[in-house]
Amino acid sequence: MFPVIDIGPIAIQSAGLILLLGFFFGTWLTTYFAKNLGTNGTVIENSLLYGLISGILGARIGFVLQNPNIFVGNIWSIFSPTPTMLSGGFGLLVGSIVAIIIAQKNHLPLLPTLDTLSPFVLMMFTSIHLANLAEGNAFGLSTNLPWGIELWGTVRHPVQLYAVFISVIILCWILGKTNFLHTTGFLKSGILINLTLALLSMTTIFIRAFIDRKILLGPIDVWQLGGLIVLIINILLIYKQSFQNQKPISVFFSMGSNLKAEINLENARNRLSESFKIRRASSIYRTEPVKNGNQKTYYLNQILELETAYSFSELREHLKEIEKEFGRDTGNRKQIPLDLDILSYHTEVFIFNGKNIPDPDIVKYRYIAEPLAEIAPNFRHPGTGVSIESILKSIEDTAKVEKIKESDNGPEK
Amino acid sequence: MKTKTFILIALSSILLSIIWIALTPILFPPVQSETSREAPFPGFSAPDFTLTNLDGEAYSLSDFKNRPVLVFIWASWCSVCKSTMPGLQKVYTEYAALGFEIMAVNTTYQDNLTSAVNYFTSQNFSYLFLLDQDGSVSQTYQVHALPTAILVDPTGMVHDVVIGSGMSPGLLRAQLDEILEESE
Repeated sequence: MFPVIDIGPIAIQSAGLILLLGFFFGTWLTTYFAKNLGTNGTVIENSLLYGLISGILGARIGFVLQNPNIFVGNIWSIFSPTPTMLSGGFGLLVGSIVAIIIAQKNHLPLLPTLDTLSPFVLMMFTSIHLANLAEGNAFGLSTNLPWGIELWGTVRHPVQLYAVFISVIILCWILGKTNFLHTTGFLKSGILINLTLALLSMTTIFIRAFIDRKILLGPIDVWQLGGLIVLIINILLIYKQSFQNQKPISVFFSMGSNLKAEINLENARNRLSESFKIRRASSIYRTEPVKNGNQKTYYLNQILELETAYSFSELREHLKEIEKEFGRDTGNRKQIPLDLDILSYHTEVFIFNGKNIPDPDIVKYRYIAEPLAEIAPNFRHPGTGVSIESILKSIEDTAKVEKIKESDNGPEK
Repeated sequence: MKTKTFILIALSSILLSIIWIALTPILFPPVQSETSREAPFPGFSAPDFTLTNLDGEAYSLSDFKNRPVLVFIWASWCSVCKSTMPGLQKVYTEYAALGFEIMAVNTTYQDNLTSAVNYFTSQNFSYLFLLDQDGSVSQTYQVHALPTAILVDPTGMVHDVVIGSGMSPGLLRAQLDEILEESE
């Protein structure tokens, strides 16, 4: 039994405190993950917090709706700060709806956001079972095993600790896989959360066997059945994401040159159209160099959207080869005949060999954001869901960007 | 990862899960005899105890078999306890005729007896005022915050445990109605 922390009439019992701590630690991990991954940490954090607040309110409203008699004649007790008068299910429903509405309003991209939430989901799973231990809820069957714990009149399986133990192992594995929350560890968005949910549902299926007082449907425990369904759904989603035949996807990338720039860009476009279908091309922009401070030579930049069935690494290799064909010498940083930078790869958010996709430069530099806005005015950042319009407004880069040649293949009409 | 390896891992995790689910009722059959076990938790038999009142008369929980009993563990320094107890008196007056009993167990081992007595008598509560001198009831009922209210149904089973200010007249009435309806 954990001690109770009693602060006047608002007795936050240890279970409630554990859940709150789990919530805040999970939120902190997720925000940290979002920062590294390039997803929208601020909005995710806000949706979680508003979800929590409205979830608690919803839990009370749900309780009032279920037990209206309790409040007849004593309407003010609706606001009594006691944790017993809460309806968990209703609270979860209201909280999730509020969080989803906030996420939708901010156009948070579904899969990258869910990936970012993986550590949060794990922390909540862990703290729910710790809270159960503190409350003596969801207790195990009686056992003679040496690690049994004394609870409710007998020695029982510490089933809540089994769950905590396994979820901590899963958390460690995820930390390793994501290089301490610096990358999703996969080149596809959504796989990390599917994997987390699959592992947690297997954990649930395993530990429910040791639970006393199961909720039975015939001979089968309802939670195990639910776990099996969640497991199968997530495995199918991973399969669909990873192994189903690739449809051609859209890639935005930027071309730059400061050596015979106009000719090189034109030749590069022709060369690229041999391997890819070019969907859209921006105008050519003359831009002040932003990365090598002392350099005076201006660049010409252009952004293309192309269609490809190449995997990300294949695409990157292919573009590197083309750079070489144009005489790119990686040792020479001053004279650049051709530079090809992948800005976004479909709607995926990942980190490959230390390179973030989508490229963080999109939100940093005008020479990228302006041509991007020209050819894709409806573009939204695949990680954060922020529109290209807002990106342009918030860019602090002041380097000159000047349109010099109108595109003949501009925005799709 | 190759498609084949993935399918192999996926199918074996699903298969293992199904086998485990199927084995669960065989390896861990549902226990029927648990209800006779004593524990201060809903669904268990309420542990019996005997305490005396100010006049030295002994009362046991088992004296009130076949009647719903609220065991209310409190102290005079606990403001939440004192804000809850008048509400209990109201419900007690209404339900005493139906056999309802309240055992207000004062945690005398960590309370000032004089102020407890002063409070209780000044409020004219008519339910039982019992003294837990050695803390044995607090220990048996694993009290970790005051007040702790344990509602015991006529069969002697714990119906609900409410910690803090939650045992309002409304909630108590609703639960008593439920209990009395069941026992009819």
